[in-house]
Amino acid sequence: MRKFWTLYSKEMLESLRSYRLVWIPVVFIILGIMQPLTTYYLPDILKASGDMPPGMLEGYEMPGAAAVMAQALGQYGTIGMLVLALAAMNSLAGERSSGSAELLMVKPIAPAVIIFAKWAAHLTVLFIALGLGAAAAGYYTVQLMGSLSVSDCLAAAGLYSLWLLSAVSLTLLFSAFMRGPAAAFLALLSAAGMSLLYSLLPSDFDWLPAALPDLSAGQLTEGSVAWFGPVLSAVLLILACIAGASMLMGRNKLPD
Amino acid sequence: MDKVNWGLIWPLVALQALLAIIGLFSLAKAEQVRGPKWLWVLILLFGNLLGSIAYFTIGRKES
Repeated sequence: MRKFWTLYSKEMLESLRSYRLVWIPVVFIILGIMQPLTTYYLPDILKASGDMPPGMLEGYEMPGAAAVMAQALGQYGTIGMLVLALAAMNSLAGERSSGSAELLMVKPIAPAVIIFAKWAAHLTVLFIALGLGAAAAGYYTVQLMGSLSVSDCLAAAGLYSLWLLSAVSLTLLFSAFMRGPAAAFLALLSAAGMSLLYSLLPSDFDWLPAALPDLSAGQLTEGSVAWFGPVLSAVLLILACIAGASMLMGRNKLPD
Repeated sequence: MDKVNWGLIWPLVALQALLAIIGLFSLAKAEQVRGPKWLWVLILLFGNLLGSIAYFTIGRKES
C-alpha cells in the first residue's frame, strides 16, 4: 500500500509538471460554460452574423435548463474524451520508450501496483476536470436558464465520468503494448465503435458502457434511469483494462 | 436578452487567456517541442481553445 501511495504521488507530480492537472480542468470548464452561453445567446449570435431571413428566429424556443445541462455534459463525450485519451496515451508508452519503465520494473513492485497508481492518477485528473466543468456548466445553466436539481446533476456527471473513465482505461491498456498515438487512436476507435453499436441497435446493446451518455442525459431530463447494466459493464471493462495492462506490463515487452 | 450580461462572459475570455498563458509559459520552459517554437506561439495566441489543446496534446514532448 505504501508503494502505491509513493507511485501515486509521483504520478500526480508528473501530471502537475506536464501541466495536465491544470490545462485539462481549464478546458473542461471552458467547454462547460460555452454550451449554456451559446445556447442562450444563439439568437443574438445569428442576428449578428448577418443576413437572416425575417421570421426565422420566431420559431426559436429556448431549451430547458435540464436539456442545456445534458448538452453541456455531451461536450465532454467528444472534445473531452479526445483530450483525456491524448493526455493519457503516453503514460505507459512514453515510459517504455524513454526507458524509465525498465528502471521501475527492476524494483520489487508488482506491475499491477504501477498500473493501478497510473490509473488512479488519471482518475484524479478526470474527477477534478469533470467536477469543476460540470459545476461551472451547472452554475451558468442556473444563471441563464433556470433551476436544476443538484442530485440529478451529480448523478448525471457521475454516469458521464464512468464513460470517460472507460475510454481512459482503454487508452492505458493499449498504451501498455503500443506506441502512444496508436493507443489513443485505438481507444477512441473502440469507444466510437461501442457508441455506433449502441446507436444502431439501442435495444440490443443498452448494456454497453456507450449507453452511459444517454443515461446521463436521461437522468437530467427524466429524473430516473435504469443504470445497472451499463454501469456494471463499464466497471467490468475498466477492471479488465487494468488487469490486462498489468499483465502486459509484467511481460515487459520492449519498445519498438 | 437585449443587454449582454458581461459578468457571465468575461470568465470565458479570462479562462481562454489563462490557457494560452500556461501554454506560452510551458513553451518558454520547454527545451524541445514538435515543430518550430514560433509556430506554436502563433497557434497559442490566435488558435483559441483548439490551438491550446493542440499545443498541449501534440506540441509538447513529454520526457
